[in-house]
Amino acid sequence: MKKHKGIRKTILFFSLIVITFLINLPIITMILNSFKSNSEMRTSTHILPQNFTLENYLHLHTQTMFWTQFKNSVIVTFWGTLLSIIVAAFAGFAISRFRSTFISIYSKSLLMLQMFPIILVLIPLFIMFRHLELINTLYSVIILYVTLHLPFAIWMYKGYFDSIPRELEEAARIDGCNRFQTFIKIILPISGPGIAAVAIFSFLFSFNEYLIANIFLKTEDVMTIPVGIQLFMQQYSSDWGSITAAATLTMVPVFLFFLFVQKYFIAGSAAGAVKG
Amino acid sequence: MSLLNISKAEKPLNRRKIDWAPYNFLLPSLILIAMINLYPLIVGVMYSLQDGTLIQPGDFAGIQNYIDLFRMSEFYNSLYFSAVFAFFGVIGSYLAGLGLAVLINKDVWLKGFFRVALLVPWIIPSIVSIVGWRWLIADENALLNEIITFFGFSSINFLGTEGGAIFSVILIKIWRSFPFMMVSILAALQTINNDLYEAATIDGANRWKSFLHITWPSIKGISVVCWILMTIWSFNDFDTIWLLTQGGPINATENLIVLAYNYTFIKSELGIGSSIAIVSLIILMGLAYLMLRFQEED
Amino acid sequence: MRNKMRFLNVLLLAIIFTIIVGCSSDSSSSENRTNNSSNGNTSGENNKGESGEVVELSFWDMSWGPSEYITAAEEIVDQFNREHPDINVTYQSTPWANWYQTFTTAIASGTAPDISTGAGFQAFQFYGQDAILPIDDVIEEWEAEGKLDDFYPGTIEAMQYDGHYLALPWGLDTRVYWYRKDLFEDAGVEVPTNWEEFREAANQLTDGDGQYGLAIEGGANNGVHTLFTLIFNNGGGIFTEDRHVELVNNELNQEAIQFLADLQADGSINPASPGMGQDDALNSFGQGKAAMYLGTPGTRGEFPEITDEVGILPALESPNGNKGTVMWVNNIMLYKQTEHPEEAKTFLKWWSENQLPLWTEGDSNQLPARVSFSEEPYFQEDQDYKFVYDEYIPNAFTTSTYFNGSFPELNEIEGDGVLQSLAQQILSGKDVMSAMEEAEGGLQDIMGE
Repeated sequence: MKKHKGIRKTILFFSLIVITFLINLPIITMILNSFKSNSEMRTSTHILPQNFTLENYLHLHTQTMFWTQFKNSVIVTFWGTLLSIIVAAFAGFAISRFRSTFISIYSKSLLMLQMFPIILVLIPLFIMFRHLELINTLYSVIILYVTLHLPFAIWMYKGYFDSIPRELEEAARIDGCNRFQTFIKIILPISGPGIAAVAIFSFLFSFNEYLIANIFLKTEDVMTIPVGIQLFMQQYSSDWGSITAAATLTMVPVFLFFLFVQKYFIAGSAAGAVKG
Repeated sequence: MSLLNISKAEKPLNRRKIDWAPYNFLLPSLILIAMINLYPLIVGVMYSLQDGTLIQPGDFAGIQNYIDLFRMSEFYNSLYFSAVFAFFGVIGSYLAGLGLAVLINKDVWLKGFFRVALLVPWIIPSIVSIVGWRWLIADENALLNEIITFFGFSSINFLGTEGGAIFSVILIKIWRSFPFMMVSILAALQTINNDLYEAATIDGANRWKSFLHITWPSIKGISVVCWILMTIWSFNDFDTIWLLTQGGPINATENLIVLAYNYTFIKSELGIGSSIAIVSLIILMGLAYLMLRFQEED
Repeated sequence: MRNKMRFLNVLLLAIIFTIIVGCSSDSSSSENRTNNSSNGNTSGENNKGESGEVVELSFWDMSWGPSEYITAAEEIVDQFNREHPDINVTYQSTPWANWYQTFTTAIASGTAPDISTGAGFQAFQFYGQDAILPIDDVIEEWEAEGKLDDFYPGTIEAMQYDGHYLALPWGLDTRVYWYRKDLFEDAGVEVPTNWEEFREAANQLTDGDGQYGLAIEGGANNGVHTLFTLIFNNGGGIFTEDRHVELVNNELNQEAIQFLADLQADGSINPASPGMGQDDALNSFGQGKAAMYLGTPGTRGEFPEITDEVGILPALESPNGNKGTVMWVNNIMLYKQTEHPEEAKTFLKWWSENQLPLWTEGDSNQLPARVSFSEEPYFQEDQDYKFVYDEYIPNAFTTSTYFNGSFPELNEIEGDGVLQSLAQQILSGKDVMSAMEEAEGGLQDIMGE
């Protein structure tokens, strides 16, 4: 029985290795390409770099504003994620637990707001932010990112909170907690996986968003990475060396960060014990 | 008496005293959403009733834009492609996400590494991932085709034919979206107590039965939310298509949002562009309603 | 208890807003610093600065070359600022991606730059929406001073629309056929000089194992450029002299498009071409998988490692003995929203006369529109630029041919996808006549005919 389990575990492990490799193939070629010179990328059919070079990274480091833009991306992502997981948690809880006509209209219209493509209406928003004198600052994109993924984040939370049994709160109420306290003391601590999921989404949305940032961030020193990368693309040809190097440098810390935090959403699975 | 469950039956009693608590919870999100989500939507509706361009909005045109729209064959082509794209995109990414979530929820070596490595397609900016894909599938000399021919199959013209391009954008959409499904489902899977499965096994339930009776009820809620959101995102997906095919070849991969973008920003016909967005909004609302009904069924 | 709840909520809101405001005041100091350099960005805000004497101008420049280009351009702007203490120009490099949206948003919200470069017909399209400030006085002044003679013939005229000059030419963008000398040699194929030889060569250089005579980025602009190149090569044009669409009825056009269809039918064009995106065909050429490629005059610079293996074909002769290729006159324009038109014109003139380092230092991918620049050693000693100036530029036509001048719809004609779809249909082996008729209908729609 034990041996059988060991074999299955090995098979599972190696299938996951293969799947992960295949899924990441486009990324792996991208990383490998970042170690080729621009012209090798264009002229060589080999997958591995023939003349391993760090020139793209050096170029990025010395000739461009990559690190400033990296810092901007980090700021935007941090605040975007933090604010949205807080604001959305309250709303998600309300929608999950309370019933009234207004709440049900609100929760349904959240979905509708998700449905309208923001690209087409950036101009009124732009004018609004111009009156607030927030154009070309990071606050404009932070506020926009938080709000634009609120509907989604609220829905994620709602789905998650729905799965948490109400008996817990009843017990807390008997102990004399009010709703707010119940929410803070009982619900949030066991919502690790839910918060993590929402946070990951917010993080990625803020980190990768391009269209809004492109419109609201004008100068090179306030651009986020996705916009900065576009500067390497010319009209008819592009600086793939810088693009791949920038992409790799962007990806690696995120990957490491996720590797680190994923423990916490596993730890959050202790929530499962509640049901038992 | 429980204050937590304000059921409809209790309401008349509480009518005089309005319970503000839920609204306090909602207030921060309400302010932001009204300002930044609702306002542009209203402007969008107004645009769709006007002619003119973004720079010079024109006169009120009533429903003329919608009439024009419903007479255009490209609208129906795009609608059809949007539907195909969204349908296969949602199904594909859901199944892939579910499968992988179940796999990495198991006890496996390097669990943490896999969880993150499988997120990568979602971590990176769209421009970067699409470029990576282009290198893999550009033509018969590209890596993926080399692999395919290595195994003795004939190479695939991924982007050069209409059918190939439709297949490719859907494939890449699935690739970009499954991690989202995976993470969401994983979060729900983790709320399940593993003892339940063991108990079920002892009771003689097979895997399918334990999935149906233990796993599914826990992930149904989040699944429906994921379907709805992915349907919306697929319908409104601009990046994947624009960066990969720009709607081509021969408009085969032009979805509603690309069409709306073309009308708004390239043809400078703001009214038509906005009315496309409104029509697709209405369609999405219909779909979302159906899915919500499914969620509330039991 | 309820009060407490409400209090907590207010507190939370307060926290959130402090965070927002907090971070805003926190970095406002750094923002101020950047604002000094970016203030000209929003002309409306310049009012504040008017109490001082320095006039702020913002100049948006597209990325017309490698990253050295931006550095070179910034240095030129710095030099201008040093020489003009009363004017401060802020340089801003603008990405090509979604450029139209960037400019539309800026104009619609009153935050347009004072000056910008842009896509070939940007000035005309935005003039149609009342956003461009004509520069008739600059042209008049320079004409009187004889300074216009320095511009390549026809380039100033190409800036005309509606009785005004809308922009100043600065760069010429053209397309030439590049070929792989090594592949030609290996296959023992002579360098073609006319269409017949071109077709024959393309056929012989297709080896049935991943190598093709030609690769075309049909999913990007390259497909449309191929159409224009062949049409002008054959002496055709998609407009009549009085600006009507005439694609199908012009036999020269038919012949040109049929030629592309023949190449496709021969199997000489990489079948992935209808979907090839930016750089796919260029890379294919670099990897020796395509023997010929329609590129910019600067294409050699993309391949330092095989620089001796590539060359430009001589201008091909079409069956009726014609030569020619497509050309765009890139230009620099002023916006109506500018509050300092005089200063903007001062900069415009200065920039036009002092921008040589864009090439010598910045390796711009354009050819200069000024004859005197083109006579500089940087161009004369460059085998490709010299060749293109001598061999191609004299027979280069703008996309409005046979009409003389430009008009707003040209931007849409290139960007809208009608011609792209035509190219893709031909590259997919669809019927030539029906594809052309469909395209003609689309073009007529755009022109409002």
